Amino acid sequence: MNIFVAGVSTTKFGELWGVSPRTLAREAVFGALKDAHIDAKKIDALFVGNMLSGILGGQEHLGAFFTEELGLSVPAFKIEGACASGGLAVHNAINSVLANQYETVLVLGIEKMTDHKPEDVATALMGAGSEEERSAGATFPGLYAIMARAHMKEYGTTQEQLASVAVKNHYHASLNPNAQFRNPITIEQVMRSSKIADPLKLLDCSPISDGASALVITRKKARIEMKSSIVATDTLGLAQRKSLTELKATQEAAKKAYEQAGISSKDIDIAEVHDCFTIAEILAMEDLGFYKKGKAAEVVGKTKELVINPSGGLKGCGHPVGATGIKQIVELVEHLRGSAGERQVKNAKIGLAHNVGGSGATAVVHILCKVR
Amino acid sequence: MQSPVKIWRNQKKIQSLIGKTGEIISWTIIRVPPEGFSDQAPYPVAVIALKSGEKITAQVVDYNEKHLAFGQKVITVIRRVTQPNTEGIIPYGIKVKPL
Repeated sequence: MNIFVAGVSTTKFGELWGVSPRTLAREAVFGALKDAHIDAKKIDALFVGNMLSGILGGQEHLGAFFTEELGLSVPAFKIEGACASGGLAVHNAINSVLANQYETVLVLGIEKMTDHKPEDVATALMGAGSEEERSAGATFPGLYAIMARAHMKEYGTTQEQLASVAVKNHYHASLNPNAQFRNPITIEQVMRSSKIADPLKLLDCSPISDGASALVITRKKARIEMKSSIVATDTLGLAQRKSLTELKATQEAAKKAYEQAGISSKDIDIAEVHDCFTIAEILAMEDLGFYKKGKAAEVVGKTKELVINPSGGLKGCGHPVGATGIKQIVELVEHLRGSAGERQVKNAKIGLAHNVGGSGATAVVHILCKVR
Repeated sequence: MQSPVKIWRNQKKIQSLIGKTGEIISWTIIRVPPEGFSDQAPYPVAVIALKSGEKITAQVVDYNEKHLAFGQKVITVIRRVTQPNTEGIIPYGIKVKPL
């Protein structure tokens, strides 16, 4: 594609009550510009990935909101696709550069969630589902729980295997200074945590988080190249899909992304996948083609040739929904450059980011590699 | 928030779904409900394969534990969805009960 990632940055994720969205955005964006050694004057456009600023914060028009705050006088856009807003913003930024509209652009993913009551956040997040699901009183933990139960029946997946995803991701997060949860946990702790939507328990679920991440995307050669950027969609509602045990959008996006990069799933050294719930990481491992259907759950945390969610994933690192898809790419870039510190994955050459919106209605896959 | 006009517009769709039979293909129990549902929690939500070929997501009512099972036969009924909203409208919609 001849698209490069010149600079990356992320704020700490967590309950950041003392920090405003403006401050989060400045930290992420100026961090990415500094990392890229690029002056803000060289930026041609800003793409903002965000889902909830309108419904929770009453603030829309985020393009102009953030160009004002950042002192940039450039075209700016807010991109929304539920929890895939970040990945979609990256995709749109890449397309604009590919179209020769711009040369160097900024992508900012941001979400401020912990200012609000959990019921209000749960209701706002259900905006990503269908009217039928809202009328049924479903929640996102509930929809993924329905998929988990179907997966358990079809493939014999156990609750302990689900728990092992959370255990692994908390371990990874314990090595990540920007992660929301730096405490390792055990399978017993997950199993004993309070029930949210059976069979999912509190520690099967990613948290409500604040945070921002940013990238500088350019067609000028840099150390990290973007090899593919693919988006796929499926029905908004879960019930209307053919299967409850796979995400077709993920499968389609992954297949096209491997084709675009000219590689196969076996070539991936490191992946940041969308583990909004523990079952979601197992579905991703299968739907991205890393393991056959029903074979992923037993190898969670035991895969040496492929490291999944070194940042701690959504579960351990936190899930400020608009920022997540960008943070995934920031994390991959750090590993591909060899600058990930204590959690560095050795010899990582090719990385994959997988970002999902809703219960699987949108999937975005990016593949990145080190420039030789 | 459901506006009165939206509720009115949805009546036809709701009517067309009353009295259909089908079976549970997966389910959960919602213990942390969204706004407006707290008086009903915990409650089961299931994906139902209707005999007509459609699949729907709906709350399960008038059940006991043994009814929460793969293949459990159910029928669609009309019930109150949430507590009345600030407009005073009581929203009704489709739920399912075991057969």
